[in-house]
Amino acid sequence: MRGLLSLAYITFVEGIRSRAIFGIFIMAILMFAASLTLTNLFMRDIVKVAADLSLATISFSGLLMVLFIGNNLLSKDIDKRTIYMVISRPISRAQYMFGKFLGLFLLIIASTIFLGIISSIPVYLAGIDYENSTVIFKWNIYLIAIIMIAMKLALIAAVTIFFTSFTSTSFISLVLTIATYIIGTSTETVRGILKMKTEGIEISPAIEAIIQGAYYIFPNLSTFDIKLQASHGLTLPEGYILWAITYWLIYTGIMVSAASIIMNRREFP
Amino acid sequence: MAIIEMDSLTKVYKKEFTRKKVCALNDLSLKIKEGEVFGFLGPNGAGKSTTIKMLIDLIRPTSGHLSIAGRKVSDMSVKRLIGYLPENPYFYDHLSAKELLKFGGRSCDMDSALIKSRSDSLLDQLELTEAMKRPLRSYSKGMVQRAGLALALIHDPQILILDEPMSGLDPMGRIKVFNLILKLKGEGKTIFFSSHILHDIERLCDRAAMLINGRLSRLVDVQKELSKEDTLEAIFMEEVGKSEGIRE
Repeated sequence: MRGLLSLAYITFVEGIRSRAIFGIFIMAILMFAASLTLTNLFMRDIVKVAADLSLATISFSGLLMVLFIGNNLLSKDIDKRTIYMVISRPISRAQYMFGKFLGLFLLIIASTIFLGIISSIPVYLAGIDYENSTVIFKWNIYLIAIIMIAMKLALIAAVTIFFTSFTSTSFISLVLTIATYIIGTSTETVRGILKMKTEGIEISPAIEAIIQGAYYIFPNLSTFDIKLQASHGLTLPEGYILWAITYWLIYTGIMVSAASIIMNRREFP
Repeated sequence: MAIIEMDSLTKVYKKEFTRKKVCALNDLSLKIKEGEVFGFLGPNGAGKSTTIKMLIDLIRPTSGHLSIAGRKVSDMSVKRLIGYLPENPYFYDHLSAKELLKFGGRSCDMDSALIKSRSDSLLDQLELTEAMKRPLRSYSKGMVQRAGLALALIHDPQILILDEPMSGLDPMGRIKVFNLILKLKGEGKTIFFSSHILHDIERLCDRAAMLINGRLSRLVDVQKELSKEDTLEAIFMEEVGKSEGIRE
């Protein structure tokens, strides 16, 4: 267990000290600053716009971090053969995968906390500037939205870990993760359109089956997107958070466990 | 008593696209005794690194058996006995040597005080004390090699498996590593190392195995068989000549 935790720690340290993360943070801060200016272009519900833009910034910056820093932290181990140094120690391959995930998870938590705190500044300032909003902004829903973004990013990190377990280069795992992200964010919408059954538009059963299949195989990332509720101050349906946590635990667990099984069979010539 | 046992070890790789089979190691049987310094030499592509990677459980044999201290190499308790230095090691860029050794110690369940005292002593012996807080990416090739050796030794392992420990080292670095191996030999450690530098093998090893084209070509008792005329270089050239003659 100490091996797993120490691997998680060095993964976190390696990520937090990388130059790319500073670049992402600077970009995020500039976007938060820009959102202050942008909100002034709107005549009403400025808090809603500020909250929406801030959450989108956290989500986008976090995504860049997972895709580039997270993917690099894993693939580089195999590309540069740093994995030799880890596997030769009393750390099993399953512990290696879970340790890497835990390190990435810590990196996501730390980054989301940092970005979340900074993001609250434009939202707070927008609230002072425009008090007569028709929207009742709720900080607790805003906080839940940030936690949901962190969960989404951790799920994408688990998907990256899964792809890294069998791909030979960082580029392939990056492409596969991006593809999964695109599918994962759109299946819910596509499935919704499919259910509407617009008159005069025939959808072949094969396409219907593919969309249904994709919905169950790929992660449903829209589960973790509650920007709409957060910016409008809407209350979440009862049991929604519990459902999201359960879904996150199951999907993430399956991804990291599958990665461990694949890694256990893999050779490093 | 043999601490490392290899019995009819064979490794066949399949090429990624053509699936053509390449035999990297063919029917290798070796027994390395406890406390022995064992040299492993051969030309490039002879199967030395393949054998070492099998000992570390990075790759698995196609056939044959392999054990360390009577246990499977994948056993976690075996890994506590081993200190491994890969060929051209590469570590995490943003970690310092001190943090690297801390990771190494913690992964072997060592307590903090012991990690600190072992780290200080190893970094001092390998002349890395001044650079211990600097990120590893700023290290020269020789310094990385020495940091790798310190990591391999942090948990005071009984068995050392070193893949080309002298590669990338300047003459001073080579002397330091040479003296360290000599000191470890004096402490009764079992050392299994591959090298292209025949002179180092002659001076350090009790026995040496010559591997050519994935096969064990000759086992030499360095201390007994070598004389002024019969050098390891002469024996090695003779074995390489024989294998080329067979191929022709």
